[in-house]
Amino acid sequence: MPILSNEDRDYLKNEFKKMTHKVNIAFFSTEEEAMCEHCDNIRAIIDEIKELSNHLNFTEYNIEKNDELAKKYNVEMAPALVFTKHDNGNIKYYGVPSGYEFSSFIEDIMDLGTDNNELDEGIEEIIKKIDKAVNILVFVTPTCPYCPGAVRTAHKFAMLNDHINAAMVEAYEFSAMADKHGVQGVPRVVINEKISFEGSLPQSEFAEKIMLALED
Amino acid sequence: MLLNINKNKEKNQKQAIYDTIILGGGPAGLTAGLYTSRARQSTLIIENMIPGGQAATTVMLENYPGFPDGIGGPQLGALMESQAMKYGTEVVYENIVDVNLDGDVKEITTDNNKYKARTIILATGAKPRKLNIPGAVKFDGKGISYCATCDGALFADKDVIIVGGGNSAVEEGIFLTRFVKSITFVQDLPQLTAEKILQERLFTHKNISVIYNNKLISVDGEDRISSLTVEKTDTKKTEIVPADGIFVYIGYIPNTEYLKGSIELNKMGYIKADKDLHTSISGVFAAGDIIEKTLRQVATAVGDGALAAFSAIKYLEK
Repeated sequence: MPILSNEDRDYLKNEFKKMTHKVNIAFFSTEEEAMCEHCDNIRAIIDEIKELSNHLNFTEYNIEKNDELAKKYNVEMAPALVFTKHDNGNIKYYGVPSGYEFSSFIEDIMDLGTDNNELDEGIEEIIKKIDKAVNILVFVTPTCPYCPGAVRTAHKFAMLNDHINAAMVEAYEFSAMADKHGVQGVPRVVINEKISFEGSLPQSEFAEKIMLALED
Repeated sequence: MLLNINKNKEKNQKQAIYDTIILGGGPAGLTAGLYTSRARQSTLIIENMIPGGQAATTVMLENYPGFPDGIGGPQLGALMESQAMKYGTEVVYENIVDVNLDGDVKEITTDNNKYKARTIILATGAKPRKLNIPGAVKFDGKGISYCATCDGALFADKDVIIVGGGNSAVEEGIFLTRFVKSITFVQDLPQLTAEKILQERLFTHKNISVIYNNKLISVDGEDRISSLTVEKTDTKKTEIVPADGIFVYIGYIPNTEYLKGSIELNKMGYIKADKDLHTSISGVFAAGDIIEKTLRQVATAVGDGALAAFSAIKYLEK
């Protein structure tokens, strides 16, 4: 059964027409049944949108059988969707990008497909200068309207600079990990396991938190 | 599985001066846009998050007429937005940082742009009132939540408290039963004030209890919330209630900071508007949760939106 309405499908088809670049997305599934309970949801999303543009390219990998590739893209768990624009696969979704996060996923595709990653004034220079590893986890739930702001900011930063590894983590699917990071409200952003905050901060304040995490 | 799409609005040529700019894209603002654009007024809505405003954080609306099986808050917001846009309303997603409402042409400054209009409709709504007791700041986002839709799933199999007993408290409580082990309501009155039908449905669920006539006086715990302290309203006797999380529904505060005192407010901070929803400033109207009124619902917000739009149209015809 189709998930998207005809109207939404037409809208996406039109949006995708603006793409000038191929967008490659690797989907890592897993043999662990409990963890892959939602893999079919991801496959359903992929099936819905892959037909809408020939600039979109999805490939499914089994994380157990492709551990070399998983290592290359720094995929630590599955299910995961990885934009492979950069060789280290630094733009990721752990879990299903459904609900409000579907918007984030589509906007990521459009940014990458049109090679257009607009940031607020003055932010681009700050982010481009970062030369140390930054690992950002953005914990979300699909029903949180405030969450896409945080996911998109983290992903936009990662698009600009491959030292930045940014992943959305669906907190309900990855509840053990969410619990380990003390997630009791979303969005919760954890940077280098050192700095964390709740809420969708403006890009400038988000960038400041990254700088703070990089201080010795 | 729901897939929301935040639709990119085709940028129309930005108008030098709009007939009407509506601040806020909730039910009041979107209805106002529908009416002004059908009157062929150039209309811009400035919203900072998602169409539907606070209603979009509600899983299911059952008391908005026309949807006998209920309708999801985000869906209703998206439908209202596309209806307004169908007739020419433009919508931008930007934060309002400043307003200048005096004179015949009013100016709105956002973080990205400046806009001008002959009439303004203020419909920026309200946001949840936060707790103001010991522990409230420490545990904000770390066990205290103001959005059950957002955070409910994080409290799977936990014992949670809901502070409040109105419609929001009970509706969100019913939503939380999907996840949590038990819910205890803390209510400072001898009864819940939510619609009776909601109360009936709430009590069909197991592990629901209510502590009546008590108010919350502190949230306690080391790294995480472990309990809270309540106090009986008459005897002042205190009691400690164990809890893993707290969801707070103790009313709302209007979003009027950006007005910086330029408009007359009542002592609760809501905008004073006359029977036609004209505010204290000529050419500036207000609608929805932001105005002084008795009932804040989607059904009353859309009525306000229509009336404020009608008044703005009349004002421009003069």
